[in-house]
Amino acid sequence: MRVVAIALAIIFFILGILYGLGKINFFTQSGAAHAYHITHLVVLWVLALLCLIWARFQSAPR
Amino acid sequence: MTFFQALVLALLQGVSELFPVSSLGHTILVPAVLGWHNVDRSSAPFLAFVVVLHLGTALALVVFYRAQWYAIVRALIASVVRGRLSDDRDERIGWRLVVATIPVGVLGIIFEAPVRRLFGSPAPAALFLMINGLVMFAGEALRRHQRQTAGRADKPIQRLSYAGSLSVGAAQALALLPGISRSGISMVAGLLCDLDHEDAARFSFLLATPVILAAALLEMPKLFVPAAHVVLVQALVGGIAAGIAAYLSVAFLTRYFRSNDLRPFGWYCVVVGTICLILARRGIIT
Repeated sequence: MRVVAIALAIIFFILGILYGLGKINFFTQSGAAHAYHITHLVVLWVLALLCLIWARFQSAPR
Repeated sequence: MTFFQALVLALLQGVSELFPVSSLGHTILVPAVLGWHNVDRSSAPFLAFVVVLHLGTALALVVFYRAQWYAIVRALIASVVRGRLSDDRDERIGWRLVVATIPVGVLGIIFEAPVRRLFGSPAPAALFLMINGLVMFAGEALRRHQRQTAGRADKPIQRLSYAGSLSVGAAQALALLPGISRSGISMVAGLLCDLDHEDAARFSFLLATPVILAAALLEMPKLFVPAAHVVLVQALVGGIAAGIAAYLSVAFLTRYFRSNDLRPFGWYCVVVGTICLILARRGIIT
């Protein structure tokens, strides 16, 4: 599960960057290409952070 | 937007954000009923004004639950540092709030814009307000049925399952529909997960705090566009008024739900929703 959590964190992090740079625009208000979707970036990075916390819980000694 | 209109809208926002009667629905219906056609809900000054109202409401919730938030944040940080979950009450509540916030955030960014575009007029808002009332009646009836037939007892927030927390969060995402109340729908979901009214209300208000605060902070750039400066004073006074109204509302509601249920709000939503729907269908409010 730790590997899944880290993989998800990386995916969310990269997706966040792509939204921030305006490279992808799914589920955005304008749907316009090359717009900077900061809200999506923030939400995706928060999800990445939560995945890292999940990974931390999987790896700590019991 | 005049100063008087700004004050009325601010008080309305502060009260209706926490009472289970839908703030979004009311901010569409009240200007329509009062014939305030000069209030353009899509203009830059109005959007900036709404950001400040949300900030005021969120800060009122933070202040009201400050001791609990302090304990929750401390417990969450401690559990992350430790890397292990414990049986600490505040930590358990904290992780349930985190889990419940995920569907609100994700569904919010996906569906907010299309939902506002499709349903941002008085007729759908009135219809959803009516449905909001019916959902509250149905929730109360289902809860009574669960307790009588299945013999399910109330449990405190810290005993709520993670699946239950997720369902409360998903239910709260329905509040994107104007007329569906954030606190009402999440309280109903909490009641169906065996919380009592007081805990369902507390969980709903605690869950609303990061959601409203994050939404306001993410919208902050709207405050700094040049067009927003014309409503700076109204926004400041409105934010304070909304904050005071929200604080008094949450203080009242936490007492109210110790011994009362959602049905009076259900009646209000059904009656007001029906009247507004008739007026909208006849073209009296637009």
